[in-house]
Amino acid sequence: MLKILIPTLFLLPTTWLTSSKWLWPTALTQSMLIALGSITWLNNTTDTGWTALNSYIGTDPLSTPLLVLSCWLLPLMLLASQNHLSSEPMNRQRMYITLLATLQLFLILAFGATEMIMFYVMFEATLIPTLLVITRWGNQTERLNAGTYFLFYTLAGSLPLLVALLMLQNNTGTLSLLIIPYAKPLLLMPFGSKIWWAACMIAFLVKMPLYGMHLWLPKAHVEAPVAGSMVLAAVLLKLGGYGMMRLMIVLDPLSKEMVYPFIVLALWGVIMTGSICLRQTDLKSLIAYSSVSHMGLVAGGILIQTPWGFTGALILMIAHGLASSALFCLANTNYERTHSRTMLLARGLQIALPLMTTWWFIASLANLALPPLPNLMGELMILTSLFNWSAWTLILTGIGTLITAAYSLYMFLMSQRGPLPQHMLALPPSYTREHLLMALHLIPLLLIILKPTLLWGWFAC
Amino acid sequence: MNPFILSILLLSLGLGTTLTFASSHWLLAWMGLEISTLAIIPLMSQHHHPRAVEATTKYFITQAAAAALILFASTTNAWITGQWDINFDLHFFPASMLTMALALKMGLAPVHFWLPEVLQGLDLTTGLILSTWQKLAPFILMCQIMPVNSSLITFLGVTSTLVGGWGGLNQTQLRKILAYSSIAHLGWMILVMQFNQQLALLALIIYIPMTFSTFMIFKTNSSTTVNTLAASWAKTPALTAITPMILLSLGGLPPLSGFMPKWMILQELTKQDIPLTASIAALSALLSLYFYLRVSYAMTLTISPNNLNATTPWRLQTTASTLPLAISATISAMLLPLAPATLALLSL
Repeated sequence: MLKILIPTLFLLPTTWLTSSKWLWPTALTQSMLIALGSITWLNNTTDTGWTALNSYIGTDPLSTPLLVLSCWLLPLMLLASQNHLSSEPMNRQRMYITLLATLQLFLILAFGATEMIMFYVMFEATLIPTLLVITRWGNQTERLNAGTYFLFYTLAGSLPLLVALLMLQNNTGTLSLLIIPYAKPLLLMPFGSKIWWAACMIAFLVKMPLYGMHLWLPKAHVEAPVAGSMVLAAVLLKLGGYGMMRLMIVLDPLSKEMVYPFIVLALWGVIMTGSICLRQTDLKSLIAYSSVSHMGLVAGGILIQTPWGFTGALILMIAHGLASSALFCLANTNYERTHSRTMLLARGLQIALPLMTTWWFIASLANLALPPLPNLMGELMILTSLFNWSAWTLILTGIGTLITAAYSLYMFLMSQRGPLPQHMLALPPSYTREHLLMALHLIPLLLIILKPTLLWGWFAC
Repeated sequence: MNPFILSILLLSLGLGTTLTFASSHWLLAWMGLEISTLAIIPLMSQHHHPRAVEATTKYFITQAAAAALILFASTTNAWITGQWDINFDLHFFPASMLTMALALKMGLAPVHFWLPEVLQGLDLTTGLILSTWQKLAPFILMCQIMPVNSSLITFLGVTSTLVGGWGGLNQTQLRKILAYSSIAHLGWMILVMQFNQQLALLALIIYIPMTFSTFMIFKTNSSTTVNTLAASWAKTPALTAITPMILLSLGGLPPLSGFMPKWMILQELTKQDIPLTASIAALSALLSLYFYLRVSYAMTLTISPNNLNATTPWRLQTTASTLPLAISATISAMLLPLAPATLALLSL
């Protein structure tokens, strides 16, 4: 673990000490090497399940895919931000990279934490660099409101989580993830335990986000600069899913009744946010609501607490992370050329930027869960486990899948096909950097088709 | 001010607090409180500005009333129990009176109304002394009379955190914001004081560098309103980058040091089986966080190339040493990994 943590930590002196000519190449190279090094974590062969274990951090089949995803994302974020930051003074550019690197550090520590309080501290710690990236480097005045919503929604959910974790520590005597599965059953009170269950889960449900508590997400995703949107969509939402999966083990047998309203909300949210996507005029807002929709399905898969549900949730989280981040990068390529997110103003781009259309096509197909992409595997497993629980959920999930396909197709057709607007006269052609960025997003997604068991989590035996 | 006068006043201030720390007799403790009150009065009104004189008068009246109440309570206790020793438990009725009197001295809700107005009338240095040094003596006395009236103390604590949060929401004057921040933090300290005095001391020890840093940052920028802070990026760019960390630490966000007392206090409250109080206190911290966030928005997160929010002032080089600020800012932002060592130092 230190082989990855120390280079990440030392990315901070790297950004401040390299000369301005070599800043971006050096930062990019270092983060890419870290990402390639992190792939070795996928080798989970120990009997106990925990690899690279020491007193504070460890990895297990649940956290390694998410860790690799977060490490993989940093070079991609740097690639994406290079253009829009090039006009800023050097110190601001260094500050931006520093914020992204500290965010990376906190994410690695969060996913690798073996003790719940360490996970909690790192979970909250990720809020600060993200807040600074959104509110300082976002482009519109609404970014201040977006930052406030982001911070306060997450904190309002997670402060009760802190109290709930401390109560759990009181009850079982430990909060170590290694010991908690074997701890004795909890002393439950009739009503207070239900509130305790809710306090444990609400923080992660807000983060995922669950449909009723999702208002922060469109604001934050839209107002953030591209690196902020990427990391939010790809990794920070998954922190919520990861936390839920870790805590679910402890929360039996309360979960049997308590999950009902949340599963209903999640599935209804899939349909509602999908429908909203069909009416969006803002491209980033569409992708943001699509994130809510997919994560609603993930929430359903986790709350159902079956092996297929957990596996499907994990695969969908990784696949959605890569696909959603790719879509935000594509939206950013539009934004950098037209300085507008309105879809009407940037349509028919196949004529102007034909090579980008390939990436738009693949990313849209990934979003609508085309076989054999892992998005479909995740969705199908969650669908099946929900159907096993109750046949009626098939109506909701089926309509949800249909609507997902509809808005993904809508997004592709609106942005790529059709007539080019007459005011688009001088669009710079697609840079190699942008092609590299899209390739680095989508090629891993395609490679996962060949070995999805890497992402199956605990049940990959 | 004449350096001899200044040194007499500052030394008397130190004497008063030290006397209260060292005393085991209620009269001596009261005397220490009175000496520190009398010593700070000339410091507050040194600028002879009507607003400063008004603040001094309000401070004197409230502190004198509190001190008289302390005297009365300790006398009543001596009458009932027959001894003046602080170490012996107090009878219920004088204990409650004493708690309210010390709350008035410190500025806890619901007797906090004097604090914002007094702090607003002072210059930043004297305000710093009021917010940090003057809290020590009543705090120590409060620690020593625990725990007699549990519900009163919990009520003081929760009300203070809520009032500290809500009261600061509509403020644009930085000193009033710091006053409400002080009320909220003292509320947290009081909540845990009845269970574990060392944790209350930890909260105070973390609170003091944070407040010191904030006052010093405002002093370096010579700004007393949120609007004037908006020009600080031109005056002190490095400080502009650090201030959000200090402010978010005041708000209690991990991984900054301000999280340490909140976490420990929540843990203690949960161990004592009052998780509901813990949750209410935790959520009230969100209110305070809102106005700290707003100050950091105005100061750091809306700097150029966005539109300027303030007219740029004269940029005069500061001759004061920035080393104390550097030390306290580092402590306020980066002490959380050293939490076990800090707790061990307080013999927890």
